[in-house]
Amino acid sequence: MTLDEAIRATEILLALAFLQSSLEHMALHREDRSLFLPRLALSALLLAGFEPGLMIWGLFLHALVLLHRYQGPYNGGSDKMGLLILFCLSMAHLAPSDLWREMALGYLAVQVVLSYFISGQVKIANPDWRSGRALSDVFLFSAYPVSEGLRALAFRPRLFRTGSWAVMLFEVAFPLALLHPVLLIAALVIAVMFHLANAVLFGLNRFVWIWIASYPSILWLQDRLIGAA
Amino acid sequence: MWTVLRLLLPALIPSWRFFRSVEASPRIQWTFAENHPGDPTIWREFRPRPDRVSPLETLVRLFWNPVWNETLFLVSCAERIEDTSDPHAIAEIRHRVVTGLRRSGEATSDQPVRFRIVFVDWQNGKRHERIAFESDPSSVTRRDAA
Repeated sequence: MTLDEAIRATEILLALAFLQSSLEHMALHREDRSLFLPRLALSALLLAGFEPGLMIWGLFLHALVLLHRYQGPYNGGSDKMGLLILFCLSMAHLAPSDLWREMALGYLAVQVVLSYFISGQVKIANPDWRSGRALSDVFLFSAYPVSEGLRALAFRPRLFRTGSWAVMLFEVAFPLALLHPVLLIAALVIAVMFHLANAVLFGLNRFVWIWIASYPSILWLQDRLIGAA
Repeated sequence: MWTVLRLLLPALIPSWRFFRSVEASPRIQWTFAENHPGDPTIWREFRPRPDRVSPLETLVRLFWNPVWNETLFLVSCAERIEDTSDPHAIAEIRHRVVTGLRRSGEATSDQPVRFRIVFVDWQNGKRHERIAFESDPSSVTRRDAA
């Protein structure tokens, strides 16, 4: 994947993710319609390929308005990832040379890899995660399970010990996937399934679309670093 | 300007420490602010979770889940109130609780309601609840529901 292809693929996937979240906001509150209309329009134009640099900068500035409006990200990690992608694409469009464009997209790719690795590393350092108790607690009393029926799963310790280790090992091993393109594709497929599971169990649907939008940067970085070797 | 920069930096240099530990978790409860004299105060959970979600509904929610995403935002607001008594977060919850109740038909715009934040934990096999915040009865008014 070339640098230009990776940037354009990221823009398209980001535009789709923003269209989805903007429509959700606009459907809920009348006052949010005027707030999210610019983001909807900018995302549609970005998707169509109209002046992508301008649209990305427009979306980035609008994201700052939203950050101020909600005094932080509206949906935690997924909004933070959206901001990070926007920032890196903004820098890529502003960059004076290909080297700086590569630095901008490379920073995004490194952060995506770290998003898995650090999440796994902090869990594996926690005895409650290693025993499966932390994951069981998420189901037992956290605000995240989408139905009360899911809370009953909390009393299956073996399931959660196995599940915790599967998640932790996948996350900490994720950087190794950069070593081979086939390995990376397999890791990204597993990662999508992981995000889908989080969407099904905890309703975190926006994570799915925004994290997928960041994947072209990793595919490009792998090709740039290992593929060229 | 500085506020936006302070909010932006954690997104540009993220910590990525999702679910490092599982702490007590907030629930938002509400009640009518004006009870008949002698009537007990009954607190109800705001947007209680259903017993189950069907496979079709789960599929739809992958693409369309605005109410749940707002509920997650309210969880963040509740955590901010616990940390810093953030007036912005209080106003957000107040407005969205009133609008949500009016929309679901549980309360009308001329019925003032109060909300409270309860943190739920599980210790020694038992559920524990701690009230972290209770809104002023006068803080939720008809104006918010407009």
